[in-house]
Parts: sequence; C-alpha cells; structure tokens
Amino acid sequence: MSTGSQPSELPASNVPMPTPASDFALRNHYRQESQRIQRDFEAVGSGLASLSSRTRLVDTLTLTLWELHFAAVAQPPCAVAAVGGFGRSELFPYSDIDLLFLTEDEACRERIKSAVGSICQTMWDCGLRVSPTVRTLADCGRFDQDNLEFTLSLLDCRFLGGDQPLFERLHAKYLPQLIARESDALLQRLSEMTQDRHRRFGNTIFHLEPNLKDGPGGLRDCHVAQWIGMIAALSSGRRPDLVSVRQNSAPGEMLAAMEFLCSSRCYLHYRHGRDDNSITWAAQEELAARGIATRSGPVSPAEWMRLYFRHTKAVYRNSSQLLGQVSQERSSLYRSFQHWRSRVSNSEFSVVDGRVYFQQGADACEAAAVLRLFTFMAHHGVALSPEAERRLNDAHLRLAETMPQDHYLWQHLREILTLPHAADALRAMHSLNLLTRAVPEFETIDLLVLRDLYHRYTVDEHTFMAIEVLQQLKSSHDQSLRPFAQLVSELEHPELLFLALLLHDTGKGLEGADHVHGSLQLTASAVQRMNLSEEDAATVCFLVASHLEISATLRRRDIYDPETVRELAGKMGTPERLKMLTLMTLADIKAVNPEALTPWKAEDLWRLYTRTAGYFDHSADAEGLDAEVSTEAIEKIIALLPMQRSEVLNFLDGLPQRYVLSHAPEQVAQHFTMTENLAAEPVQLRLRPATGQHELTVVTADRPGLFRTLAGILYAWGMDITKAMAFSNRGGVIVDSFYFKDRFRTLELNPPECERFQRSVRQILMREAPLDRLLESRLKADHQPVKLTVTTCLRYDDQCSPRSTLLEIVTQDRPGLLHTISSTLTHEECSIEVALIDTEGPVAHDVFYITCGGKKLTAAKMRVIEWALSAELGDALPSTW
Amino acid sequence: MTKLEAVIQPAKFDAVKDALIEIGVEGMTVTEVRGHGRQKGHTEFYRGREYTVDLLPKVKIEMVLPDHIVDRAVGAISNAARTGKIGDGKIFLARVDEAIRIRNDDRGENAL
Repeated sequence: MSTGSQPSELPASNVPMPTPASDFALRNHYRQESQRIQRDFEAVGSGLASLSSRTRLVDTLTLTLWELHFAAVAQPPCAVAAVGGFGRSELFPYSDIDLLFLTEDEACRERIKSAVGSICQTMWDCGLRVSPTVRTLADCGRFDQDNLEFTLSLLDCRFLGGDQPLFERLHAKYLPQLIARESDALLQRLSEMTQDRHRRFGNTIFHLEPNLKDGPGGLRDCHVAQWIGMIAALSSGRRPDLVSVRQNSAPGEMLAAMEFLCSSRCYLHYRHGRDDNSITWAAQEELAARGIATRSGPVSPAEWMRLYFRHTKAVYRNSSQLLGQVSQERSSLYRSFQHWRSRVSNSEFSVVDGRVYFQQGADACEAAAVLRLFTFMAHHGVALSPEAERRLNDAHLRLAETMPQDHYLWQHLREILTLPHAADALRAMHSLNLLTRAVPEFETIDLLVLRDLYHRYTVDEHTFMAIEVLQQLKSSHDQSLRPFAQLVSELEHPELLFLALLLHDTGKGLEGADHVHGSLQLTASAVQRMNLSEEDAATVCFLVASHLEISATLRRRDIYDPETVRELAGKMGTPERLKMLTLMTLADIKAVNPEALTPWKAEDLWRLYTRTAGYFDHSADAEGLDAEVSTEAIEKIIALLPMQRSEVLNFLDGLPQRYVLSHAPEQVAQHFTMTENLAAEPVQLRLRPATGQHELTVVTADRPGLFRTLAGILYAWGMDITKAMAFSNRGGVIVDSFYFKDRFRTLELNPPECERFQRSVRQILMREAPLDRLLESRLKADHQPVKLTVTTCLRYDDQCSPRSTLLEIVTQDRPGLLHTISSTLTHEECSIEVALIDTEGPVAHDVFYITCGGKKLTAAKMRVIEWALSAELGDALPSTW
Repeated sequence: MTKLEAVIQPAKFDAVKDALIEIGVEGMTVTEVRGHGRQKGHTEFYRGREYTVDLLPKVKIEMVLPDHIVDRAVGAISNAARTGKIGDGKIFLARVDEAIRIRNDDRGENAL
C-alpha cells in the first residue's frame, strides 16, 4: 500500500468503483464465513474465539475493499484503522463496525470521500453496520467534551491498512499528547458518563431482565476499567497494549467475567438477529438450557442468573473501585470531603479516601469486630476498601463458623438497621456471604429471580432497596413522599420495621404459592433465635404477615368508604402498627421498580393512612370492653393470669378497646396486678426507660383533676411529655401512661432521684404534699417567651362517642402545655375520660374525650372552654366548631 | 369503530378488567387520574388540621372497539363498576374514523 501519494494525484471522482462481480464475491465470502463462525460458536460455545474469528473476517474484508478502492490509483496520505469494539478485536455478530479513515489534512479528507462511501456501501450490502468517521490528525489530537466517545474509541485504535507512518504519528504522538494533556477532563467525563449510565439502571446490577452490555457490571464496565488503565498508562508516558492493560487492570475474576459476558452476548446477538443485549426471561431459559458460558453444561435458569450476577458483581466492584480512585485523584473538593471523612476513623477502623480499612491489630476473623465494621459502615456511609474485603474473604471460613445468630446478633443488627446507610452495609455484608450466615433465612432469596411483569430487581436487592427507600425519605425531594418522612421520625421502634422489611419476602424462595405464609414462618424462626421480646416478635411477625394488607385495600376497596377504614383499623389494632405498615407498604411498592410508586398511589396511601389514623383518635371512647364479652385479645391476657379470670374481666370492664389494643398482654397483666395492690398502696407507680425516654404508668382510684395533677407533677420535675394515654374502667380505676423526655437528665445522672421522683408523685396524688409549691419554682425557671410557629387549632366532635365530646387541640408544644390544658378543663368542671397525647417536633396534638357532669358538653360549655383555652394558650383560636 | 372511555372507581378496576376480558376485549389503555363530577370533594381532618380533598382518585380506561362489541363492553363495565353510590364513574363513546397498526400498516378493524 502506497503512502506517498499526493492529494492532487487522486481526485475523489477518479477512484474506480468495484465491479459487480467482485462485490458479489465479497458478499458471498462474508456470508459463508459468518455462517461458519456461527456454527463453530454453536458447537463450542466460546465467545472469545467467535469474536476473534469475526474480527479477522472483517479485517480481511476491509483490507480487500481498501485495496479495491485505493490500490489501483495513486493514494493520498491516509490510513484506515479499526476503532471501538472492532479496534479491541471484540466484534460481536451484530456489533457496529467502527472505522477511522485518518488523513493528513482537510484537502485529503475531501478527496477520499467517494472512496470511503464506496467501501461503506459494499460493507452495508454485506449486512454490516458500518460507522465510518473521516478525521485529520489534528482532529484526532483535539478533545471534544461533547464527543467523549470518539476519544475513547481512539484508545482502542488498531491499524488496518494505508499509510502506516501516518497512523503511527497518531498512535505514538498525537494520542499520547492528547491523553497527557486532557487526562483529568477525560476521566471526569468518563466517570460522569458511567454514573449516568448506572443511574439509568437504578445503580444496581440486580435486574430481573438485565442488559448485558450497558447495565451496571456489564461489558461496558469492563471497557471502562480498561480505558482507565490505558489513560493512566498513556498519561504516565507509557505506550500500553490492550493485552497488558487487561492483565494489569483486571484481576482474574474480571477476565473470567469478560469471558462469560462475551459468550453470552454472542449468543444473544445470534438469538435476536441484531445488537440486542437484553437477557429476557426467554433468553435466560435458552442460555441456561444450552449451558452457554457455564463450563458445566446445562443448568436451571435461576442457576444461570446466579452465575451472571456473580460475574457482574465482580465487574461492578472493580470498575467502581477504579472510578472511585479516579474521583479521588481529580477533585480537590472531593479530596477535602474525603479527608474530612477520614476523621471518623477510630481505634478499630480507619477511613482513607472514603474507604474503610482495618486498623493494625484489628482482627478480621473475629465476628464481633466484623459486625462492628458493618455498623461503622452503616453509620458513616463508607465503602469497604479492597484490602478490608480481601481480609474478610480470607477469614470467611472462620467467620462462617463463628458469626452469631442469636440475641448477640440482634444487638448489632438492630443498630445497623436504623443507621442512615444500613442498606449499603447490608449489601456489603451480603456480597461477602456474611448476611446469610448471620440470618440464614435470607439465603432463600439470595440472587433470586422471580418472573413477573411488575418487579424489576432480584428479591434480595428489592429488600435492600425497600430499606433504602425509608432511609432516604427525609432527604427526598419528591413532594408526594414528604408526609411519610415525618412518620419515620415518629416511630417508637424503627428497628422492628426494618427487620420486618429485611425478612418480608424471604418466603419467595420457598416452595408454595403463598409467599407471605413462608415469610412468616421464616420470620418467626428468626425472631425466636434472636430472642426478641414477645411484644417485639409479635410486631415483626404482624408486619410480615400483613405486608400486603394495605396494598390490597388500596387496590380493591374504596378508601373513602368509612367501612373500609374501620376494617383496616381493626386489622391494624394500634396507631403505631398502622404507621409501621403504611411505611412498609410505601417502601415495598417503591422498591419494586422506579415507576411503581406514582404520586397518585402515594397520595392514596397517605389518604388511607390519615383516615385510619383519624379513626383511631375518634373511636377511642366509642366501644368499651364488656366483662361479659370475651375476645381473642382478652383471652391472651387471661392466659397469663388463669386463676383470676373473673377479676381480670372486672378490671377490663369499661376500659376502651383502644386500651387493650395499644398494650401488650404482659403490660395489661401488670396493670391488673397493680390494681390488685391498690388496697395496700392506693397509688401504684411503674417507672421504666423506653427508647430514649421514660414511661410512667399510674394506677389509682379516679378523682376530679387527677390527669391535670399528674401532668403538673411531670412538668414541675422538668419532664417533657411527648405522649400520654389516660383510660379508666367502670370501677373507677384509672390507668394513665406518660412517655416523657428527661430534659435535664435528672433521673439518668442521679439514680437515687428515681425513687425521690416516685415518692413525690405518690405524695402529691395522696395529697400529702402540695403541687403548687413544686410548680412555682418551675414556672419561674421556664418563664420564657414561647415562639409560636404553629397555629393553634381546636375542634370538637360530638358524634364519635356515645358518652363524651371529643376535643382535639393542635398547638405549639411548650413546657407545661399538658398541665395548662388539663388545668383549664378541670377548672371548667370537665372530666377527662380518655386522653391521647402526642408530640411531633414542635407540634402538640392532644385528643381529649371529655364530659361535664357525666354528660356530653353543651354548645355553651364548648364555647366557654374555647375562650378559656384561648386565653391560656395565648393564641386566637380559629375554631372549626 | 368506537372509542370507549370509562372513568371508574380504582377499587373496581380489577373487576372491570376481568369482565372485559371475559367478553373478548383484549386491549386497553389504563391511566391513574384524579377528578370529580357532581360528587365534588369533601373535607377531612388529620391531627386536628383540615384538608380539602377535592380531586378524588379514579381510573380511566380507554379502548377502541369494533362496533359489534360496544354494547356488550358498556354492559360489562357498568355491571362490574356499579355500587349504586355517587362516584361510580361514567362511560363515554365516540366514533373513530380510522385505526392504523404502526408495525405493519394494518388499517381499520384489522388494526385493533
């Protein structure tokens, strides 16, 4: 091939066209050879061999055409090179053929246009999808931010024919200079493009019908790893070849993954008859039945997909690590952030560049240290370093034997589950096969592909995504999700909800049509092994057993029908369970696929929640328990006190249904015992810590102003009441529970104060000590202007209870608020029959069922109370009454 | 050919879909919508605060049918979606001049 032709000697119009006979012969040859390569692939199944054969075939075809169009005449200084996949010698059956026609200058480019057109025309006629590009050397030496693909394709360029010295100038001078000059920008754009591509696939490899080329962990990520290696080598002045880059940048698992993916992609191309890389369910069955890339012959589709995920996991991990390193080296801001994050290092773990390492002396073989590592990751959102990963892999056998599965595991797991990056920590744990050692129930859904048209991810990934959905609610910009974020922060035991989410679909890996039943069985075994309290275990099992309940109600029932709401409230039992199941439903739907939770569905879910929550508030006094009528809930309580059946029924007589539903049978039994002790001690108290707060239960004989007095005592001691429930039975015994925050940590820092506090409550309730003196000092201390940011709202409902009038108050929370309101009601001669007190951030939401003289309030009384409260709360009350 | 557009209660969608499949209607387009007719909206309370719910959730089903099946489809939808209460929804019918299947250029009822 001549390389010395002057442009003026070869006008484009003078290039001879190939004769029809030679064109026909080429097409025939190409078709026959392609068929042979396909037959070889079908016989042997080696993707790499097929790629190599196809590359050689197209090389020959291109060179023949080049000879036909350029050799017979004086040639301009130009060369033809293979770029992109063709340049890498990875020509899949229906891949594009990327050809670079390289010229010395613009004039030459114009002259070869016609010849290039003829070459491409013949290749098109052969059935090849040619993507030709004609560039000058100067073009190739420029970096176009908007055409990263071209510069990347040059990294893979391979000389085919023409002016070799011209090509060498590109390869040895222009390209290295370009990379040396633009490597930062190039890596940044490559990183952005890769992130965008991953985002399109939800940043997960675990799709039910994945895209083998562009999906995370797919072939494109292998190329990204190779490009990073080549850019690094070129910018350091070396001239790498692809083989050495592959060997240096890719560990063995990457090479094995490449082989697997190449063979599978070859099959997909032949199967689809085009460049379609999606592994559909039908394709999965065929790939598995033919044993494509398995090395062990035919396998089941599920097994084949597990192999696929294992390979893509390796690719994803390696390419992500390389991209992470790129980001670190690039941005000073990023470096500053990572440097700041390194401050979270402790005596066991250090954080360098956003990745966590074991400190010297830390034992990666010790299960407790490993659980602390995952807790650390869940807390700080850092990824495992390759070094830590290697140590954990090395220690796997020992860890598999020693990983706890009992209450010791629950101590760690409950912390991990509620931390902000729990999903990522669990993913890391699962990827190292440690999650299934700790929670063997999870093994049933390991990389499990379930075929339906709705789900997009494997069952284990769906589970992690569901947990992630709830963790990210607070930072979500989606307006339709905002109200749910508040619910998460109100949960009393978020760890139970997250544990239920972790286990809710485990039944999908069991035989049988009803996965909920299977999940419930596995959950029951897990919570028993982890030794959860009976109450917590019941909550987790309830959530798993009912996790489709709200979805079914949304789909099949009219949510604006009061009967629907009443039934749902009955199934939920308590507002807390409703709250948890609503969030679980939201997470479960949203984790199905990115489009599953439409704003329409989110709004309906919220409506159903608010209506049912409202029903709980408005029905608390509607149905009282009857000593003559036993229910399942009552029988559970009696089972704890079998010898005192009639006494228990007497105690429960007249208490609202809400009381039984909102307390565990053990708690009710305890209240009963306290009632039995009233004869000896007329004020029964129980003080216990409750998740960052304290719970005070008071059982005593009812009398006017009792609730006001209790609220006053707690206020006087500096306690901030966040939640309260007040009930009374037909025998005149009250059971009041107050949850409060110890604002000044009095009880926490001075254990003897617990006793003094209880003594004070007892003395004041028995009128042995005055409340007023205690209150005086507190009122002085708390004398500070209240910043009213919440508009007070007052509403009466005279219909929801047969005996009482409901008064609902929403106002700015402030010290002593409950005492202020209850004092006002007592002053107006009202009796508080039931009280439901709740605080959400700065908003106090209090519901009182009140009577006056044993009857509902009159209209005049309502107005008087409204005025009195208006004066006390210092806010004009826009009553809705 | 007739275009049938039905706006129904979401809770009745499964029943309506099954009824349509039973009489041989194979294709439909379904959209989650909000709206109100004479039913208007109403006021609700959550934690003491008042919320106006003026647009209620509905499901809109659209399909183009050969004329001979239209009456049966209307009957199937009405029977499956009816509760007798305000808010059950409405069915609209409109003539369609032409239908074209993009894949192979089939026209008329063949394209349905």
